[in-house]
Amino acid sequence: MIVSVILIPFITGILIPIIPFEKRRQKEIFLETAVVLNSILVWYLLLHHSDSTFLLAHFTGNLSISFRVDGMGMVFAGLVSALWPFATLYAFEYMTKEKNENVFFLFYTLTYGVTLGIALAANLLTMYFFYELLTLVTVPLVMHTLTREAVLASRKYLYYSLGGAAFAFLGLIMVIVYGTTTDFIFGGVLDPAKITGKTDVLLLIYVMAFFGFGVKAAVCPFNSWLPQAGVAPTPVTALLHAVAVVKAGAFAILRLTYYSFGTDFLRGTWAQDVVMAVVMFTIVYGCSRAVKETHIKRRLAYSTISNLSYILFGAVIMTPLGLAGALTHLVFHAVMKICSFFCAGAVMHQTDRHYVHELNGLGYKMPCTFGIFTVSALALMGVPGLAGFISKWNLAQAAVESGNPLAWGGVGCLLISALLTAIYMLTIVVRAFFPGKDFDYATVNDAKDPNWKMLLPLFAFTLCIIGFGLRSQPIVDFLLTVANGIE
Amino acid sequence: MYMILLSVFFPILAGVFLLIRFRTPLSGEGNASKRKTLVTLTGCFLVVTALFTGAAILTQKEGVTLFYLTKTLPVYFEIDRMGTLFSLLALVVLLCAGFFSFEYMKHEERESRYYGFYLLAFGVLNGLCFAGNLITFYLFFELLTLSSMPLVLHTGSKEAVMAGLKYLFYSLCGAYAALFGIYFLYRNCETLSFSAGSALKASAVAEQGGFLLAVAFIMILGFGVKAGMFPMHAWLPAAHPVAPAPASAVLSALIVKAGVLALIRVTGLFGRDFLQETWVQTAWLGLTLTTVFMGSLLAYREPVLKKRLAYSTVSQLSYILFGLAVMNEEAFTGSLLHVLAHGFIKAVLFLCAGAIIYKTGKTRVEELRGIGKEMPLTMWCFTIASLGLIGIPPTGGFFSKWHLAVGSLKSGLPVFDVLGPVILLVSALLTAGYLLPITVQGFFPGADYDYNTLQKKEPCGLITVPILILTVLSVLVGLFSDNIALAITAAGL
Repeated sequence: MIVSVILIPFITGILIPIIPFEKRRQKEIFLETAVVLNSILVWYLLLHHSDSTFLLAHFTGNLSISFRVDGMGMVFAGLVSALWPFATLYAFEYMTKEKNENVFFLFYTLTYGVTLGIALAANLLTMYFFYELLTLVTVPLVMHTLTREAVLASRKYLYYSLGGAAFAFLGLIMVIVYGTTTDFIFGGVLDPAKITGKTDVLLLIYVMAFFGFGVKAAVCPFNSWLPQAGVAPTPVTALLHAVAVVKAGAFAILRLTYYSFGTDFLRGTWAQDVVMAVVMFTIVYGCSRAVKETHIKRRLAYSTISNLSYILFGAVIMTPLGLAGALTHLVFHAVMKICSFFCAGAVMHQTDRHYVHELNGLGYKMPCTFGIFTVSALALMGVPGLAGFISKWNLAQAAVESGNPLAWGGVGCLLISALLTAIYMLTIVVRAFFPGKDFDYATVNDAKDPNWKMLLPLFAFTLCIIGFGLRSQPIVDFLLTVANGIE
Repeated sequence: MYMILLSVFFPILAGVFLLIRFRTPLSGEGNASKRKTLVTLTGCFLVVTALFTGAAILTQKEGVTLFYLTKTLPVYFEIDRMGTLFSLLALVVLLCAGFFSFEYMKHEERESRYYGFYLLAFGVLNGLCFAGNLITFYLFFELLTLSSMPLVLHTGSKEAVMAGLKYLFYSLCGAYAALFGIYFLYRNCETLSFSAGSALKASAVAEQGGFLLAVAFIMILGFGVKAGMFPMHAWLPAAHPVAPAPASAVLSALIVKAGVLALIRVTGLFGRDFLQETWVQTAWLGLTLTTVFMGSLLAYREPVLKKRLAYSTVSQLSYILFGLAVMNEEAFTGSLLHVLAHGFIKAVLFLCAGAIIYKTGKTRVEELRGIGKEMPLTMWCFTIASLGLIGIPPTGGFFSKWHLAVGSLKSGLPVFDVLGPVILLVSALLTAGYLLPITVQGFFPGADYDYNTLQKKEPCGLITVPILILTVLSVLVGLFSDNIALAITAAGL
């Protein structure tokens, strides 16, 4: 069954160009049903999981492709499968204006399976395999429009990701050589007998692997592919470049840190200082670039860069609380960012406006879209009562608790970034709702809110943002058990 | 137990309702009747909110926990004396300025948006006053910024939008600095609830006392932004004057006071014993005195009336903060008296400035020659309020400054015990310098003034009555200052 949730999207995806649908509507129904069914299956699997490992293929020694449902995997798989049906629904409407739909939906659905593969991987090799696969299936999506810009962007994405994966591979080898197993075991698998005297080399390799996986998570200085990849259609940028792909990078780093190298080995070393410093820098850097950027989607992409580093910041605090904070932000940021991306996409789809300065006065013509955008902006800023506050609170508490002065500085970075977030998000809101005295409302007469296929996901995500913000207890408790290695 | 929630959430919901119901601009056919509905509705909402607030203050004895943000972060309301004081001030000023707006806002566009956010701000201010712990307080502190920002940029001119954004970003910057402190306080306090008084863990003080002092200073700077404290005061003279006059009154009289309330709460949590005679206190005193002097000086050389009043707010707010920073009972009493006195006085001054703009369109001080002849009632109120701000007995301003000065002299602080009163006096002199010439010119336009062109321009009751009420109150604060001071000290705050 665990393999079937990965295979169903594969099969569905491949069937799309093959089956000769008469109407577009049939295709939509087919695809949406398949995705929803798969999501239900995933949730069923997560709720009734057993601890057993499913071995798919065995290579030599301790190298194998195998799957297992554990706490971390549950979080990521649950998140992805909850978002995918909504994103697909949104994509139906969005893609009416784009060409080559079949190819798009083929790879879009394939990505679903691959992402689940990463989430459910039981060992480092399996995760690495799907990680590489993820790069390959998402390149066509970035390239989709086939403009020169898109081709360049996808090439850059490919090279960055493959290069990163090569570094990550070094980490894989080290774990194979110096670990007792490559399986993910909370607390790490390094063999104390083998690593004596090799500490510094291992730490160096950890840092390299961190940056390797960090490419996908857009850690500075390997972040420039992400804003460029914004040329892809919005469902891709929203779901893949705000959630699935980039969080796969963050997820891989969490696995590497907590389940392979182990925090006991890493905490308090120079390696922790290095990665934490880089992450803190990325937090501020991403936000500052977002403030400067005038293209809406690229602005949100820079915001993603910064927010991904929030997650990594939680990760490199290297305490259970830190992991809990990281996971909270992993989940909450996904909802907030996909929501703001979908709003941006709705604006682009409805009015064909791509730059911030073109948004003047649109708030009155598209009240739902911009109302929801405002909520997501406030959530990203961390206004109490919305999701963002909770995840930042958890991250900051973890940092304060850790007693690491560098982490205290990190709290400062979080807040500087919150201020910058306010600047780059609220300027959009202010433009939309307060266009100024001399504004001619005739220029926005053509704009109106999109139809239900776009609005339904938006409202669903808004409810989540508010719901998580007001009642985060159940989910945070669950994440805490995961972070303590219980689940 | 529902009164307290109603007083907070009813106006918020009412505001949202107005924003949605009247989202299209009033124009064309049915304009007049639609406006009438809008104004009547807003009036009803204001009065009902006021009743709820009054009932909440009278009946509510124990706190209400609304829900938990996380396991240990309750959103918790509790009415204490401090909250009552601030919410009563807010209640009166918001009602007066609200009714004033009904007439004044006739010549502005998009009234519904103004009233919507006005009501929102009312609810949020109530929430701020009744917040029972630091998290709830922070929640409403952020919301206050967000709900009052549209009031600043209401007119929509380029200047107003820039000022609104400036206000927003300065305030958020301050709020985040405060949040930084909250993160650390949460770890190092027994509780963040205000009723407990000083809540720092003894172990935390022993281990990281120095660091906690730095945290306290960051929080003071952060919340100080809202109160216009140097060096983060620049937003205030930009933001307050561009708003419509009644909104300026609310901003200057109430919303900046949120910063004051915040600092009262924060010093309460840290405890006076922890902060007294540390570098934090010295630095804070220095900053407040700098602000007092600088604000007055800038007001003195400012030609635009509303801007002048805004600079005056910068200066007067730091009187209050100075009293807090001295950290003894006497000065604290002075601070709270000044909160009331300044609240009423500044509301009067801004409303008068608004009445002048409404009737004559004059904004610069030198244009106001003979204004007292045209609008005698308004200018009398202006004059009485001016005298109050300068601190001439028996107005409110005199007694508050008296307590501040005595408190400072009693404090035994090095240098500042004398320097404080001296600067307060100099600033009072400057206050006279920037307010009285307006009165003098207004009533004594000089021999060459052409009385033939004189027209009576006294505005209608909706404008003058709120001004009158507030003026009377500002004098009453002075007359009953002893009773108020007693009530404050009896509360043992």
